[in-house]
Amino acid sequence: MEDLEKELRVLIQKSCDLDDARMATLTDDSPLVGPESPLGLDSLDALEIVTAVQRQYGVRIDNQNTSIRVLQSVRILADFIRSEGARA
Amino acid sequence: MQIPFTHLQGAHCETATIASLLRHQGLNVTEPQVFGIGSGLFFAYFPFIKVTDQKFPLVSFRGPPGSIIRKNAKRLGVRFHDVTYKDPQRAMDDLDRALDQGIPVAVQTGVFWLPYLPGAFRFHFNAHNVIVFGRDGDEYHMSDPVLAEPVRCLRKDLLRARFSRGEMAPKGRMYYPTLVPKDVDLRVPVMKGIKETAFNMLKIPFPLLGVKGMRRLALTVERWPNKLTPEMAAMNAGHLVLLLEEIGTGGAGFRFMYGAFLADAARILGIEGLADAARRMTEVGDRWRDFALLASRTCKGRDHAEDPYPRLAAILRECADREEAIFKDVRAQVR
Repeated sequence: MEDLEKELRVLIQKSCDLDDARMATLTDDSPLVGPESPLGLDSLDALEIVTAVQRQYGVRIDNQNTSIRVLQSVRILADFIRSEGARA
Repeated sequence: MQIPFTHLQGAHCETATIASLLRHQGLNVTEPQVFGIGSGLFFAYFPFIKVTDQKFPLVSFRGPPGSIIRKNAKRLGVRFHDVTYKDPQRAMDDLDRALDQGIPVAVQTGVFWLPYLPGAFRFHFNAHNVIVFGRDGDEYHMSDPVLAEPVRCLRKDLLRARFSRGEMAPKGRMYYPTLVPKDVDLRVPVMKGIKETAFNMLKIPFPLLGVKGMRRLALTVERWPNKLTPEMAAMNAGHLVLLLEEIGTGGAGFRFMYGAFLADAARILGIEGLADAARRMTEVGDRWRDFALLASRTCKGRDHAEDPYPRLAAILRECADREEAIFKDVRAQVR
């Protein structure tokens, strides 16, 4: 698991008040939000994640279509942050 | 049969769909321009109009349905063929006929019935706009602005989505431009769009609309702890987010898009001050997102500080003050 993916898992756990047991069910490719998500996150949780990502990495996810796309999984979210050049 | 069509991923389905159709016909407008020319930005709080089973008041961040396409048509000199149907067979036959003539067609759909969308997006929402640009037998080629690439959709699924039932039922609605001027001087439509939005936000003599509506909502939110049980107050906060929220944007998406429009307007009109207004509008978008985040935490019991409601009201008043200042400046510059 790469560093950014690890950081994002911590950020998601903290933002959405999730315990270790639930986080253990999440792989880097599991859906993050919606009925297929093992975490059972909804659109309000998505808002928590989006805001935390902006605060921590300076990346603004500014519309719902981008949200839907980048919150598909930890790996896709990490790729998005990398592509936005938020990390060296 | 597939019409050569450039798929455009967009921020919001209605504006992205209109922009795609116009660009296909040679009118080079962006999605934020469609939003701004259509005076899409707004704020309305209607405590007497109840929505959802729990009967919460209606709060809206944008103009009424259909107003963006109507205003774009008028201001850009575009004509649209825009129809609804009672008979599903006729609705699909007319779609096929338009495709056979090489016309990409926008259709209104219920997202729940579109099987190609990710689960997170498949809730009951009946005003999702997509473009159909081809057909192979029973399969349609679709450009859905939510997605990065075009997709295919079976006829039975598309038919079900076009005749989804419930609030804002699409009734088979389809539309496409029939007359698109090739060379439009965008200065006039951009100016008209800005002036109307500034008027709507500042000057409508009704206390529930524009910045006055934001302040009235702030007053209501502040009173919830005195008028409601803690559970009901928290539920109201959650409801407010659900009205504003669009999967992670917290209602800020329209403010961000309007910021992009003002940046375009600064260039098109040659008015430098609008670029500053664009930056400030994006910053207000961030505050709307902060509001939605606090309301969401209150609803979910994640905000452990005391009294979230005065803080929610304070953010709303700050957004109202900042948007009032922005639109006053914008009005002064486009006179």
